[in-house]
Amino acid sequence: MNAQGVPVAGTASRALRERLAANLFLACTVVALATLATVVAVLVRESGLFLADVSPWRFLTETAWAPAAAEPRLGVLPLLVGTAQITAGAAVFALPAGLMTAVYIHQYAGPRAARFLRVVTALMAGVPTVVYGLFALHFVTPALQAVWPGIEAFNALSACMVVGLMILPTVVVLSREALDTVPVSLLEAGLALGVPKGRVVARVLLPAASGGILAAVLIATARAVGETMIVSLAAGYEARLTWSPLEGLQTLTAFMTQLGLGDAPSGTLEFRAFFAVGMVLFVATYAIHMAGRALVSRRVGTVAR
Amino acid sequence: MTRAAPPRDRIGTACGIAAAAVVSAFAVFAVCLLIRARAVAGLEFLLSTPSGLAARAGIGPALAGTCWLLLLTAVLALPVGIGAAIYLEEYAPRTRLTALIESAVANLAGVPSVIYGIVGLAVFVRALGMGPTILAGGCTLAVLALPVVIANSRTAIRRVPNEMRLAAYALGATRWQVVRDQVLPAAAPGIVMGCRTAFTRTVGEAAPLLVLGTASFMTFAPGTPAHPLTSLPTQIFAWASHSQEEFTALAAGAATALLLLLLTINLASAWVVRRLGGGTR
Repeated sequence: MNAQGVPVAGTASRALRERLAANLFLACTVVALATLATVVAVLVRESGLFLADVSPWRFLTETAWAPAAAEPRLGVLPLLVGTAQITAGAAVFALPAGLMTAVYIHQYAGPRAARFLRVVTALMAGVPTVVYGLFALHFVTPALQAVWPGIEAFNALSACMVVGLMILPTVVVLSREALDTVPVSLLEAGLALGVPKGRVVARVLLPAASGGILAAVLIATARAVGETMIVSLAAGYEARLTWSPLEGLQTLTAFMTQLGLGDAPSGTLEFRAFFAVGMVLFVATYAIHMAGRALVSRRVGTVAR
Repeated sequence: MTRAAPPRDRIGTACGIAAAAVVSAFAVFAVCLLIRARAVAGLEFLLSTPSGLAARAGIGPALAGTCWLLLLTAVLALPVGIGAAIYLEEYAPRTRLTALIESAVANLAGVPSVIYGIVGLAVFVRALGMGPTILAGGCTLAVLALPVVIANSRTAIRRVPNEMRLAAYALGATRWQVVRDQVLPAAAPGIVMGCRTAFTRTVGEAAPLLVLGTASFMTFAPGTPAHPLTSLPTQIFAWASHSQEEFTALAAGAATALLLLLLTINLASAWVVRRLGGGTR
C-alpha cells in the first residue's frame, strides 16, 4: 500500500530528514517491542524456575495453596477454582442482561433512549475497579448480610455481582457492535414476511451475529478472570477450596496483589510462586483474548458482504 | 391470517426490563457512593494529608502522586507507542511477522494489569534498584499503557483513507512528508481518543501499584518522582480495607475525586478532538 522508492530527487537535507524520521520510528518500535518482550521473558523465566523446583503435576493437583508457610503448600487448584467461581458468577449476572440491553438499544430503543443508554454504558466503563471494589465491600455486602444473615463478611457472592456490574459495559458495547454488522435487509426480509419482531430478533438477528456475540462473551470473560481489586476487597484473602458463594475465597489475581503486602525476597520459591500464578493467569487471558479476536475477524468475513 | 392480533413481543419487553435493570444497578452504585462521599466533601479533604484520625485525613499526597504518575506515563508511553504505531502502519512491510506483532500487541492489551505489577516489581523496583517510588510506578504504568496506545493508534492510522496517501505520493511527496502532512493530521483525533482510553485505564489502576508496594500514610505531598509511591486508587484501597465507617466515607470521597479527575480527562480530550476537527465524522 505504500509507494516504494519515491522518485523525488530532493536535497541532501531532505534525504537526511527522511532517513531520520524512518529510523526514529523504527527505534520506537524496537523499544516498545523489546519492553513488551521483556515482560513476557521475566514472567517465563521466573515461572520456569518455579517449575524446576516444583513439578507441574504437584502445582496443578495439590489441593492447598500456602506458599509462605514453613512447609509450603503449592497447589494452584484453590486459586483456579476461586477464579472460575467469580467468573461464572459474574457471567450469570452480566451476560444475559448485557446481551438483552444491546438488543434493546439496537432494535427497540428510540434515538433518545439509545443515546442515554450509550452514555450510561460509557460512564460504567470508565469507573476504576477499585471504586467498584469499595462498593462491593461496603455497600453490597452489608445489603446481602441484611437479607441473608449467614453470609460471611468476605464472600464470593458480593464479588460476583459487582464483577458482573464491571463487565456489563464490555458485554453491551461489543454485542451491539456485533449486532450492527448484521445486514438490515436480513431483518427487513423477516419483518416483510409478517414474522413478529421478537421472532426476527431470536431467529435472524441473534444467529447472524452469534460469532461476534461469542467474541463479546469471551472478551468480557477475560476481563472477569483478570479482575483484581473487586475480588481482593470483597472476597478476602483466604485460599480455600470451596464452591459456596457465601464464603470468602481467593482468586489468582487477588493472591498476586499480596506480593506488595509481604516482602518475599527475589529468588526464593515464595517469590517465584507469584510468577507461576501470573503465568497461569497470563496464558488463560491471552488464550481467551486470542479466541475472541479470531471470532471477530471471522465474523467480518462471513457476514459483511 | 389465522391470528387476529399480533402476539405481544415478549422478547422486546424482556430486553427493555434488562436495560432498565442495568441502568438502575449503575444508579444505585452512583447514589450510594455520592451519599457516603458527602460527609467529607470540601477543599480541606483535597489538600490535607492522610491521617490516623479519620476526621482530619485528606487526599493531598495521593492526588499529587496520581498527577505524577499521569505525567510519567504520558512522557514514557506516548512518544514510543505512537512512534511504533506509525512505523508498523506506514513503514513496515506487510509480512507474517508484522501480523504476528499486531496480534501479540492486541492480546497483551488484554492481559490483567496485576501481571505487569509483578514484573514491574522484579525489574524496576528490584533489578534496577528504583525501590517502591513514584518513578517505578510510572514506568510500570507506562509499560501497561504501551500495548493499548500502540493498538489504538494503529487503528486510528489505518482508518485514514489510502487515497490521501496515494494522492500525496502522486504529487511527489516523500514518505515522511506524507506521514507528517497527511496521515498524522487526519489520524490525530483517533489517536487522541485511543490514548485517552489508555490513560483513563491506567489512572484508575490500583493493582499493579499495590504489588510494587505503596505508602498509604504519607504526610507530605511528593515533590519529585523519587518519593515513595502513593496514588488515589491505592489510597482508596487502603481506606476501603478499614472496617470503620469513617474510613469508608474517606474512601468514597477519594473515589469521587478520582471519578471527577477521569471526567476532566475525558472532557479535555473531547475538547482537543473537536479542535483537531474530529468527532463529527
